[in-house]
Amino acid sequence: MLAPMINLATHPGCRRRRIKPVPGAIFSAIATKAFPQTKRIQRRSLIDDFLGGIDILAPLSWGFARNSFRVPAFAHPNGGPHLMVISRSSTAFGLVPRPPTRTHPLPTELQSNCWDTGIWLDGCLMWIAFVVVGAIGWADGPDPSAPSRNANAATRRADHDFYEKHIRPLLVARCYECHSESERTSMGGLLLDRRSGWIEGGDTGQAIVPGQVDESLLIQAVRYGDDLYQMPPDGKLADDEIKLLEQWVRRGAPGSVTDVGQTEFSRLGDQDYLFSKAKDHWAFAPIAKPTPPRRARRSGWNRSPIDRFVLDSMRRAGLGPSRRADPDDLLKRLVHDLTGLAPTFDEVESFKQDLAKSSDDDAVIRRVIDRLLASPRFGEHWGSLWLDIARYADTDSNYRPDTRTPHYYPFAFAYRDYVIDAINQDKPYDVFLKEQFAADLMEMDQNESNLAALGFFAVGPHRSRAPLEALDDWIDLATRGLMGITVACARCHDHKFEPVPTTDYYALRGIFNSIERSNPLELSDMAPAQHFVSTASERADYQAQAARVTQRIDEAGNQKAKGNNRPIATKILETELAQLMLFHPGAPAKSMIIRDKRKPVPSFVAIRGDLGVRGQNVRRRFLSILDPEQIPFPESNSGRLELAEAIASPENPLTARVWVNRVWGKLLGSYIVATPSDFGLQSSDPTHPRLLDHLAFNFMQQGWSTKQLIRSIVTSRTYQQSCDTSVEAVQLDPENRWLARANRKRLSIEAIRDRALSVSGQMDGSMFGRSGLLWPDPGGEVATGKAALATNRRTLYGFVNRFNLDPNLRTFDFPSRMASVDQRATSIVAPQSLFLLNSSFIIEQADTLVNHDGFKACNDDLARVEFLFRAVLARLPAAYEAQRIQSYLQRHQAFVGRVKASPRMRDQPWPLIAQSLFMSNEFQTLD
Amino acid sequence: MLSSIKGLADQSSKTPDATSSPLSMQPPHFPAKAKRIIHLFMNGGPSQMDLLDPKPELNRLSGQPLPDSLKQRLQPVQRKRAGELFGSPFQFRQHGDSGIPISELYPRLSEHADKLCVIHSMQGEISNHSPGLLLTNCGHSTLARPSLGSWLLYGLGSESQDLPGFVVLCPGGLPTAQSRNWTSAFMPGIYQGTHIDIANRGKQLVPNLTRRDLRRGLQRAQVDLVQELNDWHLQERADAKLESQIHSMELAFRMQTAGTDVFDLSQESQATRDLYGETTQGKNLLIARRLAERGVRYVQCYQGQGQPWDHHGSIVRNLRRLTEQSDQPTAALLTDLHQRGMLDDTLVIWGGEMGRTPTVQNGGNADRVGRDHHIDGYSIWMAGGGVAAGTRYGKTDELAMTITENPVPLYDLHATVLHLMGLDHRQLTFRHSSRDYRLTDVHGNVIDDLIA
Repeated sequence: MLAPMINLATHPGCRRRRIKPVPGAIFSAIATKAFPQTKRIQRRSLIDDFLGGIDILAPLSWGFARNSFRVPAFAHPNGGPHLMVISRSSTAFGLVPRPPTRTHPLPTELQSNCWDTGIWLDGCLMWIAFVVVGAIGWADGPDPSAPSRNANAATRRADHDFYEKHIRPLLVARCYECHSESERTSMGGLLLDRRSGWIEGGDTGQAIVPGQVDESLLIQAVRYGDDLYQMPPDGKLADDEIKLLEQWVRRGAPGSVTDVGQTEFSRLGDQDYLFSKAKDHWAFAPIAKPTPPRRARRSGWNRSPIDRFVLDSMRRAGLGPSRRADPDDLLKRLVHDLTGLAPTFDEVESFKQDLAKSSDDDAVIRRVIDRLLASPRFGEHWGSLWLDIARYADTDSNYRPDTRTPHYYPFAFAYRDYVIDAINQDKPYDVFLKEQFAADLMEMDQNESNLAALGFFAVGPHRSRAPLEALDDWIDLATRGLMGITVACARCHDHKFEPVPTTDYYALRGIFNSIERSNPLELSDMAPAQHFVSTASERADYQAQAARVTQRIDEAGNQKAKGNNRPIATKILETELAQLMLFHPGAPAKSMIIRDKRKPVPSFVAIRGDLGVRGQNVRRRFLSILDPEQIPFPESNSGRLELAEAIASPENPLTARVWVNRVWGKLLGSYIVATPSDFGLQSSDPTHPRLLDHLAFNFMQQGWSTKQLIRSIVTSRTYQQSCDTSVEAVQLDPENRWLARANRKRLSIEAIRDRALSVSGQMDGSMFGRSGLLWPDPGGEVATGKAALATNRRTLYGFVNRFNLDPNLRTFDFPSRMASVDQRATSIVAPQSLFLLNSSFIIEQADTLVNHDGFKACNDDLARVEFLFRAVLARLPAAYEAQRIQSYLQRHQAFVGRVKASPRMRDQPWPLIAQSLFMSNEFQTLD
Repeated sequence: MLSSIKGLADQSSKTPDATSSPLSMQPPHFPAKAKRIIHLFMNGGPSQMDLLDPKPELNRLSGQPLPDSLKQRLQPVQRKRAGELFGSPFQFRQHGDSGIPISELYPRLSEHADKLCVIHSMQGEISNHSPGLLLTNCGHSTLARPSLGSWLLYGLGSESQDLPGFVVLCPGGLPTAQSRNWTSAFMPGIYQGTHIDIANRGKQLVPNLTRRDLRRGLQRAQVDLVQELNDWHLQERADAKLESQIHSMELAFRMQTAGTDVFDLSQESQATRDLYGETTQGKNLLIARRLAERGVRYVQCYQGQGQPWDHHGSIVRNLRRLTEQSDQPTAALLTDLHQRGMLDDTLVIWGGEMGRTPTVQNGGNADRVGRDHHIDGYSIWMAGGGVAAGTRYGKTDELAMTITENPVPLYDLHATVLHLMGLDHRQLTFRHSSRDYRLTDVHGNVIDDLIA
């Protein structure tokens, strides 16, 4: 008997001893093809029984990477069984035919179609085929020794008794800790609490070959014979216990009469099961055009199909809609949701007047919406949603220990500009996606600004990671970010919960591994960028400064730094020159890009994610759940354009649904699908499935227009409802699933900062261009100097250091931008209040506001209070509020009168009053 | 004042808010002794056979070549540069009733031998700093996973509502692998560690912690005004989140005092300051104790930025220097915790991300010799918090090359540490990307022998 070859890569016993896994032992073929109608488990037991007649190296059979490699059985035309084993490895192993101990007529479904699939070797060209034609003396008739039916039943009973009496207690005591559902662990993929568990085996193969003691891995392991492979790990079983187990295997390894069979737990990662489950999953179903529910008797709620869908579900839940929001709340909501800003007091007043003058409120509101959709601020606000998805940042994910500076991406900003511009232009979403994968390959006018779209992949985290992980990031971005399916989980094993086999991961990996990024600091390696224009004097200043730095680089020559031996020239380039390129307005504008490698890199499955253990080759192609035929992409290039086309296809059931759900969530403050980056089997069900399809269908039909989509939502009565509602309604639906009211929103850090700057009048409204520091650099990572002065532009243009996220941003749940963000967290923590209490930024905005001429022109305290309320909250104070501030003034003066004046200490009340309005909940929330 | 704020004033700082802050206290899975952890991270990889794992046979064979059979145990890149066997130049003595051997480099720590639980058989995965640090802190050598501190905050919440629940002290900058050591990865950012560099006087230790140009009384009046405006705003709305924001503002106001006090060592007696010593390490560990005392769940103290224990060269001189820095403060911390009755519920962990080879690196000049990285059998110790005091666990061979008994992979250490904190490592899961993640992934065994 040949020694079994097993993959020990992840076996706990192996890990403990840190033994390199044995590569090779690739043993495969295609039972799926052979038994397409049969479930995997049945298939396996068919083969199982079938192989009972052949003495083979069963331990290395299909348990090994079992979903990547499959074992076919063939029915020979003359009725005898044949087994075909295909192996890539030239390692000698083979099959030894021996007379069958049992006879099994092959199921007819196998006989009918197996033979011609026998030559199915697609994709296995480099594999050597071993054919074992077996079965000496096969099946001439029933085995004369076959016991009678009654005797059979008695034997079975005895087997079960034996198991219950001797084996189960042993397994419970010594094996269940790591191999049972009751302990929720199946180490090495092995379950020993059911027959299918030990028959199917785990990652290292079938654990027990019924009747074959020496071939059963479990027996080998408990014997402690093999140095590499000893179970249980905490001590060898007693000899008589081992004997019992051997006896048990010899008896055919019977299980319990009440064997649990397959359960959700044991099915984790069972791809056949998951694929069959996926057939009934809403998100994989084609997007159909649903008919809106019939008209409701509710004025205003029949105009938009959105409202009819929402009202219908609301009614079913026993709820009714809320009234329309008050004009000032509605305007604040629209301005914020479409541009990220706040209306001024005057704008609110004139909106109210327009409504009062007009007989058609809807028309007035629509005019406002049209104006806001056309505003260039629209792209800035919605760009920030996209930058979360695209995990945009201005640095890589780590820093250089010797210089303590991040790895800068001085030209990441060109991608941000592209995004803002594309959204403002309302570029069709499908084109928008395709450009970000393959703008260079698309046949379009040679508008070079589109190349900046490739920053989608290029600006990601890269350097601190192993190469596999950088590819993981790209795969994750393209799948979870755009389609809500978590493919990156299938790197080391088939996805446990989703219909994503490992081969799908490596099919995509083949695409991304055939792509390379431009060097972020090498000007000639990048594409030009548009949108951003510098002045001649800025350029001249940059040239002068850059020349000085370059001169020092030249002077450094080949000198190495003390301590770590890095070239001094490189260090200057990576720090001073990189910072200059990043922050100086006169620096050149470039776009970070990706491009195909000269030759596409073939992809193969890395078993358990270990590139040292090669599995089957995989062609570049799309996900099998979305492309069941698995049509390969062209051989000649990376296939990224084909991938983009598959993602941005109207046939793709996920892409449009995922996007409309994200847009809906940003506008409504809650999602139809509460897991916006996960539409797989694990996702939460849509609250309004037909509304989701309506939105997705219309979105595609209207040319993938995001602006149209947004318009249709914000013109709905659903969106325009008030936050106020009855206590009963809150009790009936505390989470507001049925949208019988509007969700109150907490402002993001972007909106808080932008509002504060607008209020103080310090906002610099210029669009596009390089990043600036949001506030004087608190971390001190960026060298101080002219270039590092804080910017007063919108927060979107702030420098995002991925390695060390700005503490103020972090406090307000700004994502780390290490991976595509599904939705922003909205925590309420004390450090956020500390920012409002003590940050120099907020203090400065309050100070600036009370230095405003308008404030200085106020004659009395009431006028001052009114000025501040108008400016900060866009409303007039109520009488009690004005009185409260009067009493604050008295308290303040009394306090100041008691203490000694100090030049270091503030004693002016009005900056503090102005700041208190910035600190108020009203300033930070949106009704 | 509105009703929801009333009562806040008499709430002690240890009482978490009734509102469900993600940091509010969670019950453990089962009762446990340890409530908090102080992790003394000897970043760089301290040499086990010079500090905690005496090897007389190695000393006897010092200068002889490493047998070929053992050479295979080294990483390929190390094989080339591995020199002869290198015995420890430092003397060991057995200490206390337990007789735990400790090197002469740790005279003061030796007095605490009976409090220690020394593990000699720690087992890493990849013999380098970043992977070692990440494996030790986050349970994975390469992938971004939440750190132990994040898991503890997620699982147990924070006892202190006025201080961050997970604080990282690293004087002079950042350790290797930087903030990834205390990342919350896919968990909410609130579970991430807060890095504080006590050597950096220029910047506020906690961002926006205080305002130097405003008297506290004036600020109190300002906050009262804000809260009253908020109260009126709330009355029309009845929204739990708005209420939470009101609480949060109060907490922030209190945090200004708490967050300043904790770093103010002048509040300690001169005797205590002398106990720790007025050095960077002394101050660092004293602050760690003050943080722990105030209910911070997990304090991690790195010895310094980069990897100060990485002694490829001049190991004799460097070990003397580093142990001189750390011996007194470490011993002081154990004494101090013991005296305050805190050692019972504070778990102290001491160790690096790996150990060092028994062979010489950079041979030749005796002053320049060092040791290479080694992950098979390095030593760490734990004290307090319910660990088995005065014990040794696991063994390495006579040459300190391999583990011969009871290997402890990091997963097992994590499982045990979580267990000491009352958490079952298999039950403590976080759902991300459609999967339940664990600190120990699919591994981990609680080692009962380490538990008292």
